[in-house]
Amino acid sequence: MTDIGAMLKGGVAVVTGASGGLGRALALELCGKGMTVAGMARSGDGLAETAAMAGPDFHPIRADLSYAEAVIAAFKEIRAIGPVTVLVNNAAVYPRRDFLDETGSSFMATIDTNLSGTVHATRAALEDMVTQGFGRILNVATFADLTPLPASSAYSVSKGAARIFTRAVIADLADRFPDIVIGDWMPGMLRTGMGIPDGLDPAQSAKWGAELALWHDPSLTGAVFEMDREILPPRSLKARIRDKLLMRRQVVRRLGQG
Amino acid sequence: MTDAVNRIWDVVIIGAGMGGGMAGRALAEQGFSVLFVEKGRAGYRTERQDLNLEMFVPEARRARGYWPDPVVARIDGRVSEFYAPLGSGIGGSSVFYAATLERPERHDLEDTSGRPHPTNGWPIGFDDMRPWYDEAEKLLHVCGTHDPLSSEPDPNMLTPPPPGEGDAVFAAEFEKAGLHPYRLHSAIKYKEGCLDCLGRKCPRRCKMDGRSAGVEPAIETGNAMVLTDCEVEAIRGADGQVSHIEAIRDGAPITIRARAYVLAAGALASPHLLLSSTCDAWPNGFANSNDQVGRNLMFHLNEMIAIWPPKSARFDGASKTISIRDLYHANGQRFGTIQAMGIDLRYGEILHYLRGMLQRSALPNWRILRELARVPAWVALRMLGEAKVFVGLMEDLPYPENRVRIEPKNPRQLVFDYHFNDELKQRRKSFRRHMKKALKGMRSMFLGIQPELNFGHPCGTLRFGCDPATSVCDPDCRAHEARNLFIADASFMPTSMGVNPSLTIAANALRVAHIIAADLKEPARD
Repeated sequence: MTDIGAMLKGGVAVVTGASGGLGRALALELCGKGMTVAGMARSGDGLAETAAMAGPDFHPIRADLSYAEAVIAAFKEIRAIGPVTVLVNNAAVYPRRDFLDETGSSFMATIDTNLSGTVHATRAALEDMVTQGFGRILNVATFADLTPLPASSAYSVSKGAARIFTRAVIADLADRFPDIVIGDWMPGMLRTGMGIPDGLDPAQSAKWGAELALWHDPSLTGAVFEMDREILPPRSLKARIRDKLLMRRQVVRRLGQG
Repeated sequence: MTDAVNRIWDVVIIGAGMGGGMAGRALAEQGFSVLFVEKGRAGYRTERQDLNLEMFVPEARRARGYWPDPVVARIDGRVSEFYAPLGSGIGGSSVFYAATLERPERHDLEDTSGRPHPTNGWPIGFDDMRPWYDEAEKLLHVCGTHDPLSSEPDPNMLTPPPPGEGDAVFAAEFEKAGLHPYRLHSAIKYKEGCLDCLGRKCPRRCKMDGRSAGVEPAIETGNAMVLTDCEVEAIRGADGQVSHIEAIRDGAPITIRARAYVLAAGALASPHLLLSSTCDAWPNGFANSNDQVGRNLMFHLNEMIAIWPPKSARFDGASKTISIRDLYHANGQRFGTIQAMGIDLRYGEILHYLRGMLQRSALPNWRILRELARVPAWVALRMLGEAKVFVGLMEDLPYPENRVRIEPKNPRQLVFDYHFNDELKQRRKSFRRHMKKALKGMRSMFLGIQPELNFGHPCGTLRFGCDPATSVCDPDCRAHEARNLFIADASFMPTSMGVNPSLTIAANALRVAHIIAADLKEPARD
């Protein structure tokens, strides 16, 4: 069996939103693991700072991810560095606004930035991955959609849509390309601009994210991880009883096991 | 695209499957200009999907290279609609096949003493076909071991990889029972890291099929082109020849012309196309004055049987390399080959199988019954988990009332009528008795009660023959009524033989290509 995990290292990992926060931490962590990383973001200054910290394996790529043409052009630039084997969809904005302080347009602008960015980047990365027949896509997600916090409506909708996007893309690709592994990862509540003051250090969370991003296993397609462990889908009462009777234990996969 | 319509091709091939692909390759390699016109999509070379008979969204089916629409079958008067195991795309159905490429025996093509042929023999003999089988085996890289019961030479058979431990023990068990197992003939190169793509698309050029051994080498010559997403609507012509074909591409009608036309859309779609191509001269379908187009439809019968290997046998995966011809012809009866299916029975397969049986049974089509089928499927899986699935492929005989036809209310659907002849039912019972007796000493269990048609093996609907009254094309597979139209798919077979059809499709396609080449004499230069 060919080791696709090793083959991932022969290509480029694209991290969106690499100008700060979790995106920067992920880029640094991936470079530390020997990956060539292309970091995408709107902010040139932020990307430059990340580049200074990460070293020569990091390539800053400025692009507004909400524009399809900009993303296509950016990926063309990235392809000159190497084929895209890993994509971490991390870029997001989280404007905290009461819904009554939003207009329909301001709301949809947030959706556009967050959802379009994921869609365009995924579509562009798949050009390489479908040609190669393998790849890894990790979508940084949140449980925000289940019980949205107040003043977070646009963010919650966009993150919920992104989770459905993961499932929809899997419905189209998983049977044809079992070696393009796609899944969601919830980093936890972080101590970043977008997060909370007493949150987790993004550098710690990024360790888990980077490990997961380089973990290539077809059975991870559709898997949802939160921080360092897998979150299994909820089972119906019937299913739980059946598993109890058949003495079937569910295995929860964990990161950081060495 | 203007490339394709503003020229007269040497050869236009309708359908880029096993037959079309191999014929196109042979012609392109000889310098002729070849256009494949393929209804399906190109797909991505790295795809690895299985055939999926449950998926029902037509665009999703098309995207995966499956025939997008269900077929409509009227079997012994009962109508059912289902997705047949047919492909649509470059390589057609063959990209999903298990690559089992076996030769028929002499009595499949000829009247031999003690084995009368059901139609007095094919219009060409076994020795005429032999060099084409040799050539097909070479191009399709067939490996296997020699059938101990056969005295016919097989010079191009390649050495297979050594059998797995389980299959070696299993084969020894069959020998102890007095049978003569051999390593099944497969068109697989077993490259390093081979993914064993039986039943699914191979992402490397490791499994040889209509795509990897036909269309792709054809394109590499620089003389061939493929038009995908291009459905042929009609074949037109008069005065004993085809003048052009009408197709649809990107929603717009196009006209394509060639010096020779090859029809290879499969034994269901090829007659359907001819029957749809009516005109004043041919009100019953193109080149169909004798009403033979679509008739004599044959499938094989699948006698699926679970056989338990000895407890000492260790397998990693399904048994897939054993073939046995002891019952190919027994006690004066035409049966067929028994071969490992290469699949393990998984829950999904059993459930699908049971649902298929339900659908074709007399029980009402209630949703609850479909759901309840899960229970026997689960039980079956528990019981059969260790068993290996074999299939006895029994020969079907030609009957004119078994046919592809057009349903006027829905002319685009593939529709066929099939009646289980009494002769077939008797012979099948006898085959099953023989199978059980032959496997005495081993634990086995049949997996079906009612006769099961193998819808992946249709053939016979445009059969070749010397008599223009009872056949559609002549011994050269040239349509009796259209001298520049050739048949190169499974439709040409007058009898279905007791083996998988693909090698015969390939061998005949190469033979027909040779005939077309002689017809065309000089390659056209643009």
